[in-house]
Amino acid sequence: MNHPVWDIPLLGSGWIIGLISIVHVSIAHLVVGAGLWLPIMEGRAQRAGDLELQAWLRSRAKALLWLSSIFGAATGVGIWVAIGLVNPTATQHLIRAFVMGWAIEWLVFVGEMATLIVLVRGYDRLRPRQRLAVYWLYALCAWLSLVVINGIITFMLSPGKGWVASHAMWDGFFNATYLPSLLLRTCVALVLGGLWALAAGATAGSALKPRILKPTALFALAGVLLAVASGWYYFQSFPPAARELVLGNLKGATSLARGFRWALWGLGAFLVPGLLALWAYFASASFRRPLALVGLLLACWGFGGFEWIREVARKPFVIRDVMYSNGIRVEQVADYQKEGFLPRNAWARTFAASKGDTDLARGEALLRSQCLACHTRDGYRGLKALTASNSEGDNEAFVQALRELDPALNPYLDRMPPFAGTEQEAAELGKYLSSLKSK
Amino acid sequence: MLVPPIPSPDPLLLPMPPSVLKALLLATFTLHLMAVNLGVGGSLIAAVHALRGKPEDRELLRRMAPVLPAAVTFAITLGVAPLLFLQLTYGPFFYTASVLTAIPWAGLLVLLVAGYVLLYRFVGSVASDGVRALTGILSALLLLSVGLMLVNVTTLSLRPDLWAAHAAASPHGLRMNTADPTLWPRYLHMVAGIAAVAGLLLAGWGAWREHAYARRVGLLWFIAATASQGAWGTWLLLKQPAPVFDLLMNAVSAPSLTLWVSIACGGLALFMAIPASQEGSPARAVWGPFALGMASVLGMILLRDQARDASLAAFGFQPGALPHRTDWLSLGVFGLTLAALVLLVVVLLRWATQPRAAVEEQP
Repeated sequence: MNHPVWDIPLLGSGWIIGLISIVHVSIAHLVVGAGLWLPIMEGRAQRAGDLELQAWLRSRAKALLWLSSIFGAATGVGIWVAIGLVNPTATQHLIRAFVMGWAIEWLVFVGEMATLIVLVRGYDRLRPRQRLAVYWLYALCAWLSLVVINGIITFMLSPGKGWVASHAMWDGFFNATYLPSLLLRTCVALVLGGLWALAAGATAGSALKPRILKPTALFALAGVLLAVASGWYYFQSFPPAARELVLGNLKGATSLARGFRWALWGLGAFLVPGLLALWAYFASASFRRPLALVGLLLACWGFGGFEWIREVARKPFVIRDVMYSNGIRVEQVADYQKEGFLPRNAWARTFAASKGDTDLARGEALLRSQCLACHTRDGYRGLKALTASNSEGDNEAFVQALRELDPALNPYLDRMPPFAGTEQEAAELGKYLSSLKSK
Repeated sequence: MLVPPIPSPDPLLLPMPPSVLKALLLATFTLHLMAVNLGVGGSLIAAVHALRGKPEDRELLRRMAPVLPAAVTFAITLGVAPLLFLQLTYGPFFYTASVLTAIPWAGLLVLLVAGYVLLYRFVGSVASDGVRALTGILSALLLLSVGLMLVNVTTLSLRPDLWAAHAAASPHGLRMNTADPTLWPRYLHMVAGIAAVAGLLLAGWGAWREHAYARRVGLLWFIAATASQGAWGTWLLLKQPAPVFDLLMNAVSAPSLTLWVSIACGGLALFMAIPASQEGSPARAVWGPFALGMASVLGMILLRDQARDASLAAFGFQPGALPHRTDWLSLGVFGLTLAALVLLVVVLLRWATQPRAAVEEQP
């Protein structure tokens, strides 16, 4: 890590991203799905001359503006703030690689907000055909923002050899997992948007309720069924090493295996909204809002599980085969192992100097720069507990083993970055790990 | 002096010449700032007048209210682009500063959401006048405190010489950049600027829509806020690091020219606004101070950038020298998307400003 480290005790920095991301991606996908649902419903309402339904849809557009402009926009900025704090080196690398992608996505987002504001504020001035057109334009802008951001997210899992050679944005953008991921995310958006609409429609008057619930239920059900198919397609497109990491860690008592199993339960829970949609379709009179909200919660769990698997499948990288999760680029490792990490990293040196530049201070500086991206000292993935039974010699030998770049000699290579430092630095980190026992 | 720990820049090349990036940064920042002035400054003005509670204030509030949440939406949305371009060019400075003061920086989001939710409550409130005014004041203060967090990171990003001490004193990123003497004057300078431009926009709207009270109130806000810049602006200037101060005050340079032209425009706008704010003055009297005030804002945006580059030049950073390889394809797609957006906005504005549809067409 070339930058200073945000040291968050107990919780660890990764959780900060996780907590904001869960909220943001759920809202962002919900908004895309609801954006597609609105013009479909408005079109139906206009064709049927159903003014009551059109008025109800107007209230949904208002709610969507509230949701996307406050929470969607703020948590979107929030993710950006969080990744910049937790992994500034990787964030900077991504921004350098994709600045024009983000700039294009920003234009699309401005369009999204502009259409929604005009829809809500200028509703009375819009003719019915114009209104329908604005609904569709909003849907298009919302979906296009997903189309763009999907390229950057999937790049991190599968950047591809083309980009590594050319560093050309579009080579990284249209990568191996781009299309499957886009299909899957679109389907998830249909589910979340549909459930949100079902939750709102469930409280409508008895005459209006079936006119909302029946088409909306089909919309959500289509999302669930297509999500299952596209989810399978997406997993098949994973890089082989990522697939092996997932499949090889489903059993056992490790935290990774527990996490995968928890995520898989979530994927199973994602099917429940399909059953709820059938309920809403066939027995709309008895369908109640809490059912839709439970469905929404389960769908968010499933979606969260999918996102967690995608994140973990990148291990030990933040950008697969390009940059490790601690911000060290793959090609830097050999140099750091030969010349030393501390001489090459101003902030690690600064930290060590602030603590007297002792062996322990240097060890702590190395831990902050190379370990705290995933671990804490004594909380989540706490190193104190993980090394509790180790002697000082064990810890030093362990870090020395982490220097190995051959998977036969370093069994952690599939999930942990190699230690990027000299033998001397490995000994210093080992000493610091041992000192955690007394802290 | 110890060598400041400035991270090495990312090895990937910039996708366009630094000068183009700088132009995009300044253009998008200007748009963002205008939306901030309208949304945040407008919220402040609306809340204060809600507190006054006179009939003409209520009427003013009723006219202003629908615009405010949309303006804040655009302030956030339009703020993303300059932050993006800033990170591209000034990444090593920006990221370091944000990590060193991580909690206030991340706290910005909480303040933003809270201020924004309260703003919606304020403009749509059916509560008593007192509660409503209090909601508005609280919302405006929260939104203004977002600005403090931004100034906090910005000022720290310009002072690599303070970083090591800051990091040692605040390993978990809790502290603000209070060791920097420019923090508070810069923030107050910004708040006064927001209030002044919001007043100017209100006065311009009042002149355009023949709303005499809005015109007068807007000009009074502009006058009071701009006059206070004599204190905040001078304080900020005096606290600038030596290289920047010398560049502005002891040299004939582009930044010093920008500074004095901006001050002259602002001062002239102030003097013209005083008679224009008198009861009975013609509506057209607003346009002189309006144009000069806006020119002063544009000058200050430019000056802000020049002062940043001068500050960082003292640490050997030259943004113009960053290596690049122009990505024409991406620039082309960006240009086409921009053109499509402009077309979309034009069509939307035409539709949104046409006469209302006949009642039978409305659901």
